[in-house]
Amino acid sequence: MARIGVFICHCGTNIGGVVDIPRVLEAAKEMPQVVFVDGNKYTCSEPGQASVREAIIENQLDKVVIGSCSPRMHERTFRNTVASAGLNPYLLEIANLREHCSWVHGYDKEEATAKAIELIKMAVAKVSRHEALFPKEAGITKRALVIGGGVAGSQAALDIANAGYEVVLVEREPTIGGRMAQLDKTFPTLDCSACILAPKMVDVGQHPNITLRTYAEVRKVGGFVGNFEVEILQRAKMVDHTKCTGCGTCWDKCPEKVDSEFDLGLGKRTAIYIPFPQAVPPKPVIDTDHCRHIKYRQFMEEGGEGKPPPKCLICEKLCPAEAIDWSQQDEIITEKFGAIVVATGFKTFDYTAYEEFGGGRYPDVITSLQLERLMNAAGPTDGEVVRPSDGAHPKTVVFISCVGSRDERKQRSYCSKVCCMYMAKHAIMLKEHDPDVQCYIFYIDIRAGGKDFDEFARRAQEEYGALYLRGRVSKIYQDCKKLIVLGEDTLMGRPVEIPADLVVLATGIEPSDGAAELAQTINISYDTHNFFVEAHVKLRPVETQMDGIFLAGCCVGPRDIPESVAQGSAAASKVTDLFSQERLVTDPMVAVIDAMKCTGCMLCATICPFNAIDSQTTRDGRIMAVVNESLCKGCGLCTAACRPGAANLRGFTQQQLLAEVTSLWQ
Amino acid sequence: MAVEDFQPRMVGFLCNWCSYAGADMAGTSRMSYPPNIRIIRVPCSGRVDPLLIVKAFQQGADGVLVAGCHPGDCHYVEGNYYARRRLALFRLLLEFIGIDPRRLCVEWVSAVEGKRFSQVVTSFTEELVRLGPRSEVQVGA
Amino acid sequence: MQQIRDKAKELLTSQAVDCVIGYGRATDGVTSRPLFVYEPEQVEELIFDKTCTHNLTKYLLNRRGKKTGIVVKPCDSRAINVLLNEEEIKRDEVYIIGVVCDGVVETRWNQVGEEKQARCQYCHQHTPVVYDFLVGEPPEESPPAPEDYAAVAEIEAKSLSEREAFWTEHFDRCCRCYACRQVCPGCYCTECFVDRLDPLWVGIRIAPEENRIWHTIRAFHLAGRCAGCNECERVCPMNIPLSLLNRKLVKEVDELFGFQAGLNEEEMQPLGTFKKEEKLGIGE
Repeated sequence: MARIGVFICHCGTNIGGVVDIPRVLEAAKEMPQVVFVDGNKYTCSEPGQASVREAIIENQLDKVVIGSCSPRMHERTFRNTVASAGLNPYLLEIANLREHCSWVHGYDKEEATAKAIELIKMAVAKVSRHEALFPKEAGITKRALVIGGGVAGSQAALDIANAGYEVVLVEREPTIGGRMAQLDKTFPTLDCSACILAPKMVDVGQHPNITLRTYAEVRKVGGFVGNFEVEILQRAKMVDHTKCTGCGTCWDKCPEKVDSEFDLGLGKRTAIYIPFPQAVPPKPVIDTDHCRHIKYRQFMEEGGEGKPPPKCLICEKLCPAEAIDWSQQDEIITEKFGAIVVATGFKTFDYTAYEEFGGGRYPDVITSLQLERLMNAAGPTDGEVVRPSDGAHPKTVVFISCVGSRDERKQRSYCSKVCCMYMAKHAIMLKEHDPDVQCYIFYIDIRAGGKDFDEFARRAQEEYGALYLRGRVSKIYQDCKKLIVLGEDTLMGRPVEIPADLVVLATGIEPSDGAAELAQTINISYDTHNFFVEAHVKLRPVETQMDGIFLAGCCVGPRDIPESVAQGSAAASKVTDLFSQERLVTDPMVAVIDAMKCTGCMLCATICPFNAIDSQTTRDGRIMAVVNESLCKGCGLCTAACRPGAANLRGFTQQQLLAEVTSLWQ
Repeated sequence: MAVEDFQPRMVGFLCNWCSYAGADMAGTSRMSYPPNIRIIRVPCSGRVDPLLIVKAFQQGADGVLVAGCHPGDCHYVEGNYYARRRLALFRLLLEFIGIDPRRLCVEWVSAVEGKRFSQVVTSFTEELVRLGPRSEVQVGA
Repeated sequence: MQQIRDKAKELLTSQAVDCVIGYGRATDGVTSRPLFVYEPEQVEELIFDKTCTHNLTKYLLNRRGKKTGIVVKPCDSRAINVLLNEEEIKRDEVYIIGVVCDGVVETRWNQVGEEKQARCQYCHQHTPVVYDFLVGEPPEESPPAPEDYAAVAEIEAKSLSEREAFWTEHFDRCCRCYACRQVCPGCYCTECFVDRLDPLWVGIRIAPEENRIWHTIRAFHLAGRCAGCNECERVCPMNIPLSLLNRKLVKEVDELFGFQAGLNEEEMQPLGTFKKEEKLGIGE
């Protein structure tokens, strides 16, 4: 016979104002195995918790029911209260008398009270079948994996490394730096992007605790928090970085020219290349899709004939360090980690979907990121802002906001947050490059919410003469050397036609290519736009639903550099928080399989979403299913599927749920 | 018993991460719905064993609601996909032995759909009033 | 018939198996009964004719770890596949003598029926789906037809209250002998849910509403696993049309998931998998 105590919280008037608590307490006294009942004004408060604690001790209660707000609110709080009275914290059940009763049935106090009594009865029935549960412990591998070497990932890697832990940073491109490395100046201070980023990049490259794996991708993730096992695909660079000195002779002399991805098609690079001068590592890779020697080698391997070998191997011939290594192969490296930070960043919306803007046919319609490359002194035009078509300096530049943002019809209804600010920045920069330039900015709203942001946006108009036109652009067409932009000035209530030399589209932010596949590999959630999903948008912005996996930067949603850096540090702090523990305590509400009832059909193992169930052979040759409690997440799929009822989920056992059902309407 | 007097007995199995949270949100937003439903919290809609459903009917339920996360959003990744198959098949079997399939209501309610939850419960309650009580009610085993 | 005897003799003499489970003549002289042959001399008692309705597969579950030969009809062989899939028996412990069958008849003590059983009339699998030795020539199979589920459709044509009345009348007669469970190869749980006292799913009371839970859930536990041998209905002493319940689920599993149990040694049962985009009438 248990000794159950029932405590009903008034929650001020939230519950007490609707539910007749004295009547519920009276009814609770009659419920089976209930030996003590009490009401409380605010059970979650210090005095409230103290009174529960005292009642448990004085009355030797061994199980507790608390009728209060939703368990999603205070389950942890009340478990601690119960534990502080010396009772196992899992010998508690909470009846939701607020969100599921008083707050939705306030129109009928009689009904609300009757329902409250039933809810207490259900909780009493359930708790009578509760057993003490004891968390288990597991070890933690104190090494972190950071996926993505942009500013958010770099910040995370540095913070974790500075805290004294090993970090492996995996970056898909040949260099770290991400999108920030492509920028010229950053708002609102207009400092040079590379100047502030490069020292961070160098720190990452040189930090003794950071292993930098560029030109690599994460292929497989298994295990669980504290004990991840990850397969990393290291692509063959064809250059031995232990020998290479980064002298640059090879990329200087390579004859094969390819459109540069870093310069977004506005410039060229060579087949053996570093993406930009301050690349980290400052050592090249060979693009095997375009290297003449590799292509010939592949042609011969596939049985090709009749083609003479290309006159190349110049890099190999000229390299003073003999660092070219044609024998390199892609390899899979398996490593163990305790935590993972995902910071895979963003790409920009492909504006060719907008036929009205030329669909990509006009070379002088460019994206804002392309404009950054033009403005950048290390860019394809050495910092001269010129028209891609004829190299002339533009005098009339038109900016169009929200291209691929705030547009239902292109399935991009969200705002990309940073575009208003960078358009203002571009207007200011262009005027600094050329005092004769006139900028027009077509906008819907001006979003300038950060520190000094609004002042910055106003400067673009007041000091730098940018003309802001509130309206949208319906069409752009080419007329000789000009691009005619047809738009609307809604504040003046009239259409506008501007013959522009250059049109810059503020293209929206979206997750990098392969985001959805990576999310599936890691088993984290992603939304319809492929942005990764936080555990809680407000309260847990850098965590995911999977313990031990954290998020930072634009892979979660559009944000600017200070926010990405802050999140990188926040994610790092979550990692060091995890690593500061000696052992991991696992949730005891896991499934357990009764070996006497298990018939070895393994349906549970097939269904388990976390591969937490293995088969074991007993000494007499029977196959049994066994739950790996570290992997089990407590979903209960196995329990519902098990025909003989061998699998049972602690905390939501068959007995407990059935007890709730059979307590109804008695 | 006049139709207006009939108060259907309803059980709801709500998954902790989505539908139970959605029901909480209905409360936080002070939505109103009829008081007939009794909510049982489960970790996932995939936890709902058909045995619990038949026992609920045997206990006197006129209707059983199972609510989970929208397909694709399951906190446990795929629990609701299994629930969907299991419950779809089970409902057909119940119908075969004479239990109106409308008495087993399966809905997807997300954590932010407080209003939707109250609408689901309200229309389910109204539907059960129209259907009337289950013919035999044998309480207790 | 002689082929079966010869093969059994060969298996026993070579000690490839130490028992052959087949059919023998029952003591009424006209019907058949399961026969366990341990000695090569005994093989002459093995028979095979249209009275061999039994599904002998269940006996394999008692002979785990031992090598057994077994005589199976096509429906029985599907049950073997289900057990192989669920790893209840090992393929190398069973020597399957598969017999091509064009139907069996109803039998009672000393009575042999004339017409083929109802289930044989809609059978499209006259050749065993798994065997080590085949007896008989595999015939042309007829394609499936809507009439296959005529008996189920008859129930589906009734109104809800008619259905309830129909089943209550039958469940009223159920005496909870569990013969249906004992004969079914798919029912091999060491502790069946109906026998559990905690949680008490099915009360000890023998009453229609308890029996209803028993039969509904047993049928559901066989969803996607029932091979359609109809033994449950044959052995029921109260003549409850149990096959209707299983057949209904066979129909739905086929229509919704395109799946029939036991056709392959390796298959994924429908409740162990899902398709993200499938439309099953829920939440659409």
